[in-house]
Amino acid sequence: MTALPPVAAHRARGRSRGAATSFAAVSVLIAGAALTGCAQQRDSDVYTVMNSSTDETYHRWDAEAMARCGEQLGVRVEQQSVPASQVMTKALRMASSKSLPDIVQFDASEMPTFADAGGLVDLRSLGLATDDIPEGIVDFGSYKGTYYGAARSVNTLALFYNKDVLDEAGVPVPTTWDELRRTAKRLTEGNRYGLALSAGGAEDGVFQFTPFMWSNGGDETDLDSPRVVEALDYWKALLQDGSLSKSTVNWTQADVNDQFMAGNAAMMINGPWQVETLNTKKSLHWEIAQIPVPEAGADSVGPLGGAVLTVPRTGDTEREKTAGRIVACLASEKEQLTYALNSWMVPANEKAAAKWREEVPELDALADQVAAARSRTAKLGAGWSGVSLALQSAFQSALTGQSSETALQRAQQRATSGN
Amino acid sequence: MAAHTPAASRRRWGSTAAGVLVLGVMLFPLYWMLNTALQPESGLLQVDPVPGSLDLSGFSKAFGDQGGHLLTSLLVSFGAVAICLAVSAPAAYGLARFGLRGSRTIVFGTLITQMVPGIVIANALYNSYVDLGLVNSYFGLMLADASLGIPFSIVLMRSFMVSIPGEVIEAAEIDGAGPVRVFLRVVLPMSRNSLITSGLFAFLFSWSDFMFALTLNTTDDVKPITLGIYQYIGAHVGDWGAVMAASVLSAVPAAILLVLAQKYIAAGITGGSVK
Amino acid sequence: MTTSTVTAPAPAKTSGKGAAPDPARQRLRRRLAQWGFVAPAVVFMLLFFGYPLVRNIVMSFQHYTPKTFFTGEAPFNGADNWSSVFQDALFGKALWHTLVFTAGSLLGQFCIGLALAVFFNRRFPLGGVLRSLILLPWLVPMVVSGIVWRRILDQDTGVLNTFLDTLGLGGQTPWLTSPDMALLSVILVNIWIGIPFNMVILYGGLQEIPKELYEAASLDGASGWRTFRSVTLPMLKPVITVVLVLGFMSTVKILDLILALTDGGPADATQTLGTLTYQNSFVELDFGAGAVVGNVLILISAVFAVFYLRANRTEGK
Repeated sequence: MTALPPVAAHRARGRSRGAATSFAAVSVLIAGAALTGCAQQRDSDVYTVMNSSTDETYHRWDAEAMARCGEQLGVRVEQQSVPASQVMTKALRMASSKSLPDIVQFDASEMPTFADAGGLVDLRSLGLATDDIPEGIVDFGSYKGTYYGAARSVNTLALFYNKDVLDEAGVPVPTTWDELRRTAKRLTEGNRYGLALSAGGAEDGVFQFTPFMWSNGGDETDLDSPRVVEALDYWKALLQDGSLSKSTVNWTQADVNDQFMAGNAAMMINGPWQVETLNTKKSLHWEIAQIPVPEAGADSVGPLGGAVLTVPRTGDTEREKTAGRIVACLASEKEQLTYALNSWMVPANEKAAAKWREEVPELDALADQVAAARSRTAKLGAGWSGVSLALQSAFQSALTGQSSETALQRAQQRATSGN
Repeated sequence: MAAHTPAASRRRWGSTAAGVLVLGVMLFPLYWMLNTALQPESGLLQVDPVPGSLDLSGFSKAFGDQGGHLLTSLLVSFGAVAICLAVSAPAAYGLARFGLRGSRTIVFGTLITQMVPGIVIANALYNSYVDLGLVNSYFGLMLADASLGIPFSIVLMRSFMVSIPGEVIEAAEIDGAGPVRVFLRVVLPMSRNSLITSGLFAFLFSWSDFMFALTLNTTDDVKPITLGIYQYIGAHVGDWGAVMAASVLSAVPAAILLVLAQKYIAAGITGGSVK
Repeated sequence: MTTSTVTAPAPAKTSGKGAAPDPARQRLRRRLAQWGFVAPAVVFMLLFFGYPLVRNIVMSFQHYTPKTFFTGEAPFNGADNWSSVFQDALFGKALWHTLVFTAGSLLGQFCIGLALAVFFNRRFPLGGVLRSLILLPWLVPMVVSGIVWRRILDQDTGVLNTFLDTLGLGGQTPWLTSPDMALLSVILVNIWIGIPFNMVILYGGLQEIPKELYEAASLDGASGWRTFRSVTLPMLKPVITVVLVLGFMSTVKILDLILALTDGGPADATQTLGTLTYQNSFVELDFGAGAVVGNVLILISAVFAVFYLRANRTEGK
């Protein structure tokens, strides 16, 4: 480019007008935004619920339930869904700007952190009753003895198996670790693995490890105990047998479900939230059973999963009361049953659970497993996340070559130094 | 062009063949994405190498669900581009021309901005946004997304504007034009290539933003496509056919722009910096 | 005002109409007008980058917990966060992974990008179209690239291993599942993502090199490789530094790609400073520690930038 050619000079006039207009447009926008910004106020009849129901179906079910409860209470209830991993940080950020929603649905393992920071209102003080809820599930929604979170439904893990594959091989459903190991090995064939589970480097993997750890008598406060080492050695054995894919360390629970549905696994460890997807494949005949235990007759202890509805402390007691009523409605027996039937999870309320069992007898095993399931945060509360990270690193190291003992010793050190 | 002998022509078509091969390797993951989108029933694991029949249900679903989010993305991205250019073009000119004290520091500052992780920025911005009432507003997101492109645009346009011959500007000044007029009538038209290139980059940065959209919104009022895709990658299940279809859709507007702007990019990117 | 002799003759030119006003004031006005061009951008960058940066530095010296979000109280705790981060074995690992990841990615992106730029700089049928299409990988959201690549690289069912298997090259490569391979695989995917950017900018630079230089070189009888080394590379140097500096800064803080591909695993094999700051801040909610790691990242970039500027300056002399 040397000098301004005449053509460019001619065009320059038109262009400069364009640039001037865009400048003007921007300044108008700025002014407009400033005005609307000031006008933003909380609408007194609109209540917001923040949850992680980004899935289309869950979002719709929640929206329907909220519409019903809103109508009943004469308010409008709006839903805002964010990716599950973002609920906590988003809520904290909103707390600092004093713009918390009226209701937050936390994953139960995260609730203690928010409660510990003083961010939640005692639900009993808002008039929520806990008479019909089993003690275990009240504890599930409690932190240091205070009931902060109302669960609508709970879930746990179970053994899903492909009925056709088991029938064809003529093997019974495994109930002990030895049986599971033998069956899995037997069913491994060609592209198909005997078993699929998630040992991914996130909460998914830890969730799946807990039934093995707990059923064997291990405990999250003592990660390098022989009981936990045995459980991890058992996972290693499954992998060495070739019954588990080497990709296990990279799978989430959704990946595990994809593998099972594609016929790449004869059995899987997974939860009831997958049923909706499983049922889309008509040619797949699956059933569920309790997760096998180390010795015949031992208790199968699974992790209790699910989300709880909480009322964050906003300082506006009137709104908090109404929010409490909305939570009560969403967690009422009727709504719980509707939600549970939609999502295939087990209602938290005893009466609703009984009705649910009648309606979905095929998930009976799951209901039994829930009754015996254990909460991840019961012992550690807000300290769970640190232990969970240490444990992830440990089972991933062990499954990729390290000895279980060394890996877990390091995890225990990391967990205690982090606290 | 001198090469018209058969041998030279064969060599040139050989280059085309090699180019196609390279392209094939580079675009394979995208092909796989499209392929998956066309087989929505298969789940992600039994995808055939070539779709047997064209099942467009993934696309129609994605389009139905995400059409609005695409529009939001477009609006926000164009807004971000406008803000980005309106802020960075004058700055680039000022830094290139006026010899202001502190210019060097400012240029170094633009470099520093590239070092701050996005998550740190998003976190810090949130509270200020609440105070200013910019949360959940199109304008707020445009501003934030514009910030992604501004440092880059300043550097790019500055290196271009440095190469504009001083005589041209002085000639305009002799004609009685003030600095604003010179900038609008002389400098901007001459910098067309670098303006388009900066605009394109700003558009791409804004188009792919996820962090700001996630952090600076507390309702679904302003929901760009990057967040919309999460509708299919939920907490519980993944609808891969729809995810892939939505991704293909999300790439289309950007691809069109890229092809349209392609011929300006080469000229705009380095402009004067080589000379 | 005084009637001192004015040294700057410039104002006379611009003051088109009326009597010549006070030159000192006019110079001030001129300066102010000039600053008016730059000021919006400076303000913008201070608000959107300076403020978060300062906040992050302050935060790294604070005991910042979930409680802080409610009470606003974050007592200063000296260098506690820093020492606890440095004592964490994971930090050293993540630092090393970050350096390997950045160096590997840059090397791969740059070499392939340059090769492609040189390749497309020649004229051949459909060259322009192919060149534009190669930019497409850039347009896919990172979340989605991550998902697609994870499937492609799956050890058992991934299409890459299936392909290698049909070639008889052993289709059991544990791309993402072995701690020894995972970092390499993540680097490969990042190279794929970065090639378009490198190619576009380097191609732009090549276009600017005057054709006469090549003609002169070929008259001298220089071979292709010699021409590349003695003409192309030196002429391209400024563009190369721009590409590498921008590439370095965006690569070193990478986060979303790794989260989508491996989540930092298996067994922390792909944990980088970017994922570590995310994990500290948003999983463990130890915001002070997260801020420390973030600052270390910024510091690494800053050191790199200083070297770059110094190299640039000595060159200018």
